[in-house]
Amino acid sequence: MTTYATLEDIENCMNNGWTDGLPVIPPYGSLVDEMLEAMGWQALDVVGEMASQNIVVRAEKAAATAVMAGCKPEYGVLLRALTQGLLDPRLNLSGVEVTTGGAAILVIVSGPVVEQLGFEHTTNALGANCRANATVGRFAQMMRYFCGRGGGVLQSHGTIGHPGRISFCIAEHPETQWGAYHTQFGLPESASAVTLMSTEGPNSCNNHYGVTGAQILDTIGDCLCHFGQTAWYYRSGGFVVVIPPDHMALVAKDFNRAQASDYIYENARRQTDLLAQVGRIASPPIEFAEVQPGELRSPLKNREQITFIECGAEGGRFSAVIPRWVGSTHTVCKQII
Amino acid sequence: MTSRSENRAGVNPPARQLTSCGDVSCELLVDPIPRPTPDPISVTLKPRLARVTFLDHHKPNSKTIMTYAQRILIERGIEVSQEILIKDDASNRMPEAMLQSFAGEGGLVLCGISD
Repeated sequence: MTTYATLEDIENCMNNGWTDGLPVIPPYGSLVDEMLEAMGWQALDVVGEMASQNIVVRAEKAAATAVMAGCKPEYGVLLRALTQGLLDPRLNLSGVEVTTGGAAILVIVSGPVVEQLGFEHTTNALGANCRANATVGRFAQMMRYFCGRGGGVLQSHGTIGHPGRISFCIAEHPETQWGAYHTQFGLPESASAVTLMSTEGPNSCNNHYGVTGAQILDTIGDCLCHFGQTAWYYRSGGFVVVIPPDHMALVAKDFNRAQASDYIYENARRQTDLLAQVGRIASPPIEFAEVQPGELRSPLKNREQITFIECGAEGGRFSAVIPRWVGSTHTVCKQII
Repeated sequence: MTSRSENRAGVNPPARQLTSCGDVSCELLVDPIPRPTPDPISVTLKPRLARVTFLDHHKPNSKTIMTYAQRILIERGIEVSQEILIKDDASNRMPEAMLQSFAGEGGLVLCGISD
């Protein structure tokens, strides 16, 4: 029996900074080797760089992190694409890690891989008690934490953060009304993909008595427009709109995806002067914020800043809005091959 | 007023190496944290000037060896500084001003030998 030795190793990891705050699977070499093979890499393969920190990330680091997060080796192909996405400089991993905005990495899994690997895409889709969602999401946050801090050189400065910094992975329904999530980034419908972006926590949008798609989109649009919405000053991030089946049944009767984007872009607006009055617009305005006094202001710079994901359970009339973090404007979408 | 625990993760840099000593054998755990690589160091093998400066660091016999080397170099016609500079303590790095002074020397700096 090695039970007590294993517990001791877990404590040793926890006490020496090899943790996201939760107990980890100790990254024994034999487990890491198995994960490396599943990811299709050799230990010393360079899988990315954190150029500003003079850091080269080798495959064994990602594989060790996957083991620690509790991922199964059968997730290896997905984790390979996810690792490449996480280390894509456009995601600005160090920025996500250290910002006062307290952002997390949102992982969206879409396509046939959702069912192949057993991701939960219905009940509690944004916080599923399911190993695939929980550990893949945790892997992404651990990579953010381990790589983004420059090997312990940088510190996190999130003012309040949000629970997604532990794990934040959403899987889409395999069958959708408007097409797979990744088709919004140019991948074919039949593909499997992981899509990454930095976000704040989700805002719930409740509407149980609306009977038209417009009423549901107005409710969602209003959620984009509260005073506290980070997007008001720069409009550089955008939003992910989560639509579960009951709301989708109403919306899809009247709108396709492009029409829904247009509707929200045109109608979800707030008076600029009122935003300035409560301090949500800088005075004088920042030039690139494109402030037009007296006009209605959208929290979106353009229609492309809003994307839709279809997930969640039937039987409740809730949607959700996930605001993007304003400091990394890019979404990284990787096909799982 | 509250104080932060000095041991919590995120305050101290994470450990670089951990081992497991289970019932079967000792196994190295794979460090998951990538570390910064220092900028490359450039080394000049041939000094720009044929001059030697000595730096002692208070190790036993160091001063004796340096004085001996100084005498031999002078006999061979090599320009050497007469004064043997002294670093206060072998266990501490030299002061920044002294380091900068040596960096601008252009000649060879012979340091005391550690035992």
